[in-house]
Amino acid sequence: MTRKGLARRMALAVALCIAGAIAPAVAGEAVREAFVTSQLADSVGVVDLATMKQVAEIAVPGKPAGIAMSPQRDFAYVTTPDGNELVAIDTSVRKVVWRLNVGKGPLGIAVNPRSGAVYVANWYGDEIVSVDPKTQQVTHRVKVGRAPSGIAVTEDGTTILSADRESDAISIIDAASFTRTGEVKVGEHPFGVAIEPGGKRAFAANVVSNDVSVIDLGTRKVTATVKVGARPYGVAFANGNAFVTNQAARSLSVFRLSDLQPVTTIPVGDYPEGIEATADGTAVYVACWGDNLLQRVDTTTLKADAKAEVSDGPRSFGAFLR
Amino acid sequence: MNRIVIAALALAAALPMLANAHGPSRKKEVSTIEIDAPADKVWEVVGNYRDMGWHPQIAKTEADPGEYKKEVTKRKLTFKNGAIFTDTLTRYEPENKTIAFLTNDEDLKTLPVEGYSSTISVADEGGKSKVEWKGAFYRGYMNNDPPPELSDKAAIAAVTAFQKEGLEALKAKLEGGK
Repeated sequence: MTRKGLARRMALAVALCIAGAIAPAVAGEAVREAFVTSQLADSVGVVDLATMKQVAEIAVPGKPAGIAMSPQRDFAYVTTPDGNELVAIDTSVRKVVWRLNVGKGPLGIAVNPRSGAVYVANWYGDEIVSVDPKTQQVTHRVKVGRAPSGIAVTEDGTTILSADRESDAISIIDAASFTRTGEVKVGEHPFGVAIEPGGKRAFAANVVSNDVSVIDLGTRKVTATVKVGARPYGVAFANGNAFVTNQAARSLSVFRLSDLQPVTTIPVGDYPEGIEATADGTAVYVACWGDNLLQRVDTTTLKADAKAEVSDGPRSFGAFLR
Repeated sequence: MNRIVIAALALAAALPMLANAHGPSRKKEVSTIEIDAPADKVWEVVGNYRDMGWHPQIAKTEADPGEYKKEVTKRKLTFKNGAIFTDTLTRYEPENKTIAFLTNDEDLKTLPVEGYSSTISVADEGGKSKVEWKGAFYRGYMNNDPPPELSDKAAIAAVTAFQKEGLEALKAKLEGGK
C-alpha cells in the first residue's frame, strides 16, 4: 500500500470511529459527477467528470442557485430563490423526488454532516430554516442578520454559520438548540462562507471589500483579512491552500492556509461562482456563470485543465460534487 | 389610499439603504453588432474609458486621471436626462480589445438595475468588426414580488434597449464617414 493510500485508509478509519454509522461515503472515493444549478435555464445539469460532458438535465423551475448534498451524496438539495422552494433530487435516478416551500428567497444551503438536517438561508426572510429530509418538514427557524447567503456547518455538526450579506457579519448558530449564539463582524457584504478542514477557522468572502475575513471559531474573532480579486464569491480548500472565486476578475485567488500568504491567481471563465474541492483534494471544480462552463482546476499544477459546457447561468453555490 | 401613500413613503425612505442591495438572481443579456470598420478603429472608441459619448444617452464622462487601473479607476457618467451613474473599470485589455466596467451607483428611473456589469469586446472579422456587449445585472428591487417597473422583465428590457441603442450608434458613428 502506498503511503498516501495508507493515510487515506487511516483517515477513513478515524472518520468511521468518530462518525459511527454516518461517515461520509465519499471520503477517499473519486468524485464522478457534478450537479450544476443553471439559474437562467431553470435546471440542474449533471456533468460526467470523466468525460466533462453534461449528460443529463433536470428541470427545476424557480431560478435554482444553491445546492448541497446529503451525507451519503444520494440526494442533492437545491434552493430556488424565485420559487421559494427546497427541491430534493435523487442523484442516482436524476429525478426530483420532493419539494417544499421554505420561505422567502432561499439561496444558501448546507447539510449537517452528522444528522443530515438541511439548512436553508432565506435571503428575503433574514432567517435560517432547518428541514428534516425524512419527514420533509420545516422543524426550526432562527432569525439572523439581513440577507443571509452562504451557510457552513462544522464537521462535528454542532455549529452553523451564515454569511449575512447586508449586515456585514457572520451569524453563529448552535445546531442542537437552533439558537443564534453570536455574530462576528467581517468585511463588506460577505457572501460565501466555508470552514477549513479541522474546523478551527471560517473564511468569509466579502463581495464589496474584495477580501476574505478569517474567523477563529474558538474566540469568535476575525484574526486576519486576506486581499483577493474583484467580487469574491466562494471559498474551497485543497492541498493546503484556499481557493477563492473572483466573479468580476475571471479568476481564482489562491493563498496558503498555513500563513495566509498569496500563492497565485488562476485565470478561469467569466463570473466564476460556486467552487468545491474533490474529497481527495486533487482538483477544484468551478461554475462559471458568464461563460456557461464548469471548469476543473488542478490543485498541484494550479491550472484550469478541463471544462464542460453546461446550461445557461451556472452557479452551483454550495456542495455539488459526488 | 393613505396606506398606499405611507407605503410609498416608507419605500422611498428605504431606498438609500437599498442602494447596494440586490436580489439573488442575476440576469445576462448579450448584444452584438457587425461594423464595417477595422477593429482597431472600433476599439479606439469603445476602449476609451474616459469618453462614453459614443452612447447617445451619455452627455458627459468624468473619469479619474492617470493610468487605467483595474478595480481602482472610476468614472461618473451624466446621462442626457440628468441621471448620474458611477462605475469602476474592472477589465482593460487592449491586447484582447476588451474593456469591462461595473456600476456602483445607478438611477432606477433611467435603468431599473443594480450592479450592472458590462464587458465590451471587439473582434476582427476579415477587416470588419464584430462588437459584443455582455451585460450582467440584477433587477432594481431586492425583495419578492417587485412592482412591474422594477421586475426582472423590466430590467432585461431596459438593458437590452440600452445596449442595442449604444451599439447601433457606434456603428453609425464608425460607418458614417463613407
